[in-house]
Amino acid sequence: MKTQLSRRNILKIAGGGAAIAALGMPSILRAQGAYPDRPINLVVPFATGGYNDRLARAFAPYLQAELGQPCVIVNQPGAGAQLGHTYALQQPMDGYTILCTSAAPYIPLNILLQNATYKAEDFHMINLPSRDYTLAATTSDSEITDMKQVIDRLKEDPTSLSLGVQPASADYANLILTLQKAGVPTDGLRLVTYDGGGPARNATAGGQVDVGFVGGEGFLPLKDKIKPLVMYADEAPEWWSDAPTLSDAGIETDYVEGSQRGWVVPTALTKEQPEIYAKIEAAVKAASEKPEAIEALKLQELATRWYGPEASNKAYMNNFTKMSTYVDLLK
Amino acid sequence: MIDTEAFMGALTLMATSAGSWGWIVPGLIVGLVFSAIPGISITMAMAIVLPMSLHMDFFSAVVFLTSVYTGAGFGGSVPAILMNIPGSPSSFATTFDGYAMSKKGEHNEALGYALFASTLCGIFGYVLLLFVVEPLAEIVLKIGPLEMFAVALWGMLLLGSLGSTYISRGLLAAAFGVLLGTVGMNTAGYIRGTMGIPSLLDGIQPVPAMIGLLAAGQLLSLASRDYILEAEGARKVSVRRILLGCWYTFKYPAVLIRGSIIGIVIGAVPGVGSSVGNLIAYAETKRTDKDSASFGKGNPKGVIAAESAVASAEGGSMATMLALGIPGGGATAILLAAFMMHNIVPGPTFIETQKDMVYAIILNNIVQAVVLLVVGIGFIYVAANVVRVRTRYVLPAILVIATLGTYAVNGSIAGPITFFVFACIGFALVRYEYPVAATVVGLLLGRMLETEFLRSYQLTGGNIVYVTEHPAAIAIVVLMVLSMAMTAWGKRKQLQQEAAEAEAMERLHQEELAAKAAHNHR
Repeated sequence: MKTQLSRRNILKIAGGGAAIAALGMPSILRAQGAYPDRPINLVVPFATGGYNDRLARAFAPYLQAELGQPCVIVNQPGAGAQLGHTYALQQPMDGYTILCTSAAPYIPLNILLQNATYKAEDFHMINLPSRDYTLAATTSDSEITDMKQVIDRLKEDPTSLSLGVQPASADYANLILTLQKAGVPTDGLRLVTYDGGGPARNATAGGQVDVGFVGGEGFLPLKDKIKPLVMYADEAPEWWSDAPTLSDAGIETDYVEGSQRGWVVPTALTKEQPEIYAKIEAAVKAASEKPEAIEALKLQELATRWYGPEASNKAYMNNFTKMSTYVDLLK
Repeated sequence: MIDTEAFMGALTLMATSAGSWGWIVPGLIVGLVFSAIPGISITMAMAIVLPMSLHMDFFSAVVFLTSVYTGAGFGGSVPAILMNIPGSPSSFATTFDGYAMSKKGEHNEALGYALFASTLCGIFGYVLLLFVVEPLAEIVLKIGPLEMFAVALWGMLLLGSLGSTYISRGLLAAAFGVLLGTVGMNTAGYIRGTMGIPSLLDGIQPVPAMIGLLAAGQLLSLASRDYILEAEGARKVSVRRILLGCWYTFKYPAVLIRGSIIGIVIGAVPGVGSSVGNLIAYAETKRTDKDSASFGKGNPKGVIAAESAVASAEGGSMATMLALGIPGGGATAILLAAFMMHNIVPGPTFIETQKDMVYAIILNNIVQAVVLLVVGIGFIYVAANVVRVRTRYVLPAILVIATLGTYAVNGSIAGPITFFVFACIGFALVRYEYPVAATVVGLLLGRMLETEFLRSYQLTGGNIVYVTEHPAAIAIVVLMVLSMAMTAWGKRKQLQQEAAEAEAMERLHQEELAAKAAHNHR
């Protein structure tokens, strides 16, 4: 059967159809107008259940109330957060992708050790409320009483104690910095390496290793099973207010902050879409300072404190510079 | 051992929160369905429903999630038995005898055995947990790299049970698997074999790789047939025969208990989980059995051993999570996240202050195992009908679902690519008669072998004296060697007996002949 439609007629119909479709889909036309008009993705570059994931899930209700659009958690785990960071940078710069990540130590580690294709400056910190510090600890019934003793024993014989640590981490840098400062040769140490904070903490609590150097916050559930020796911080954080700081333990050394976690966007967004970025920043600030949010997150031992972009970026870049200085220690 | 007061409190808690009981059946069904899909692991199934549980009260959420866990523990064995494709690494050992039984037309019984072993050992695991939740957690912390290395070696012994025509090819395939298992960044921070691909930094994803390796050969061999089971008479689904399988499980209490104990202990060790337990339980059962030659050819004990270890591992890893706040594997990590989201932090303090809640969770899991029996029979009755569908409809569906499943693991294209690459490798292995199963065992255990060996070396600084300070590791190795020696001794005796019998028969025969000859001569 031959069709009766000429090509011209088909074009007319198609054109009309397109016009009707355009009328029927005002959302596309309005897209340039009011941000946000569709759900926003909160990208967590770790698997479900970690600190960032819990932070994102707990904070999302307050953030979406401020933004006026639902927030969807997108887990993009892998390669020490490198896959998730790359993913976030690859998304269109339209403000619909916000990262909730451990900016330190993972972004510096991605760049310095894993040859990631991005630079530290590619990320802009909105706020980094959660700070974690390296904690040197032993199992609770260990004969070791303080950090001085550890250093003395290692000075005498570097193989006398086994030390558990994650390789290529801020904890490792802190361990080496301390021992170098104290004049302990770092070649003959019995370093036992763990590929995650969890296993390293279990080994410390179970006495598998004599001293463990790991992020302190994860030790909280195991608090009764360990003895803290020194926390690499100038002042003890509020979640472990009686932990011995460097000055308490009488240790003099430079140190690297363990983790800085919080809300991050690609720097390109702040340049290309300053109005959209301003909205996001205002929403994160408002949600962080909301009393209900602070209370709800505190119950889950999650941080909300508002440091703001300026202080957060400064802390982040400081950490990156320090990590770059000590990168040879990490290799 | 049991705190009676807290136990009564737990019973009251169970009774007063009757509403949460309603979540058991939906949870079990979700777990069964998701984990029966190749590529979707227990962890995935739980991660999918995690957001839902946030809107429930705490006890309901835990009941729902642990029901998913219980259901998923068994669900993986359904495709393993019916199609030789394990739903997750933990049901890998189930394929050896489960699928062999299916080929003989005994799929109904095989599913029955698997279900009942799962139920019984799930209950057994939790009952034991009720008594030892605290001491077990203490022991778990004491398990160091040396002990773990011994466990990994034990798992590798399974290789000896995988029948292969050529020993050399079997060893080569296993070595290849171990090498694959070490790809990525190792525990000391060295990056090997990633070819510059960031996705490989964490190693090769085991689930897509395993399914690729196993499915390729299997799907191709199925493609040449009209139905999964050749004989038309065998393609029946019968509740009576499923129940018969369930009932016969009682005939093997030793297999059940051994599988459970291996499952609980190994499941409790953080970072190991049920994927190693089922291999060890299978290998041990086969090696200690008188009739070990029949394993891999459809011996129900193989199915029971593997499933009992998987089911009881759930109890073991729950112990570690409740008592220490340490997730033993992916599934308990999700559970831990759910606890945290309800503002409850498991660990020593939780178990001390809220013992009634801990008991209530354990008791509820026992109830779940019982309910699983009923829901499970219904589920396998429906699922077993796959044998009645033509392979031309089943195969494309499996391929599509498996591809989606492998995508879902991390939500990235790395999964399907791994799946495809390993399907090609699997096809080549099958084509040149290398045992694929040996490669899978190597892949699953390679990372653990390397990591724990390296840590043992780091810890000792190369000083062998350290080993003597670890009686547990020595005990594991001695047990292993003893059990192997016993088997070898038993085998030799059996062979000698057989030889003696054959000789006697031969002599009798000769005598008869001589007598006959003498008779003829006369």
